[in-house]
Amino acid sequence: MLLFRDEEHLDRWCSARDLSRGATLTPDQGWRLAHAWYKDKLRAVWRRHTLEETEALLADVGLTGAFWNLRGE
Amino acid sequence: MTQSPAPADALAREVRLYVFEQAAETARVPQPSQIAAALRHPQVEVEQALKRLAAGKVLILAPNDGNIWAANPFCAVPSGFRVEAGNKTYWGICIWDALGISAALGKDAVIRAPCGDCGAPMRLEVRNSRLAHSEGIIHFAVPAHHWWDNIGFT
Repeated sequence: MLLFRDEEHLDRWCSARDLSRGATLTPDQGWRLAHAWYKDKLRAVWRRHTLEETEALLADVGLTGAFWNLRGE
Repeated sequence: MTQSPAPADALAREVRLYVFEQAAETARVPQPSQIAAALRHPQVEVEQALKRLAAGKVLILAPNDGNIWAANPFCAVPSGFRVEAGNKTYWGICIWDALGISAALGKDAVIRAPCGDCGAPMRLEVRNSRLAHSEGIIHFAVPAHHWWDNIGFT
């Protein structure tokens, strides 16, 4: 997951690699996703999120739709 | 009655706690020989525990040896995603993990990363668990279902 100055820079990066655009997040969405994902990682009782928890976590940040589907094609 | 975890699970847990505690406290991810010495276990057992943790997607091993590439969000080697927090410098393997370092530490942080296209320096800042300064956009190239197909590219 990379950071780009703006849409133009992202499009240029994709074009240079013959890649389709994936999904973009605002930095605030990125922070909220990172916070929800990692805030407990140092705790002794940490465990991986379940599939359902991960889906809820993504949805809470506004990440829904096919790109964010965790259950396969 | 509470059942004790199997020895392999217990060692994996012990290794996990040590690795992440060290990464947070020192900003350096310990490698197998250091972990083995600190925990007083044979290195081969530590390496097996690390493989279990990697299989469980708790951390990521380097492709060709038993070393840790990332105890994510902490990257074991310097990267372009630099995080300054609590007078230490950490690295993430991507912008998500760089932000995750601040979240995991529960500390304010300044994150410096290059634009993926032109390399221009950019800065994000987390203060009081909020993004206090930001610029740019974050791009996920790989759909969520395929993140772990090739985590290095993701």
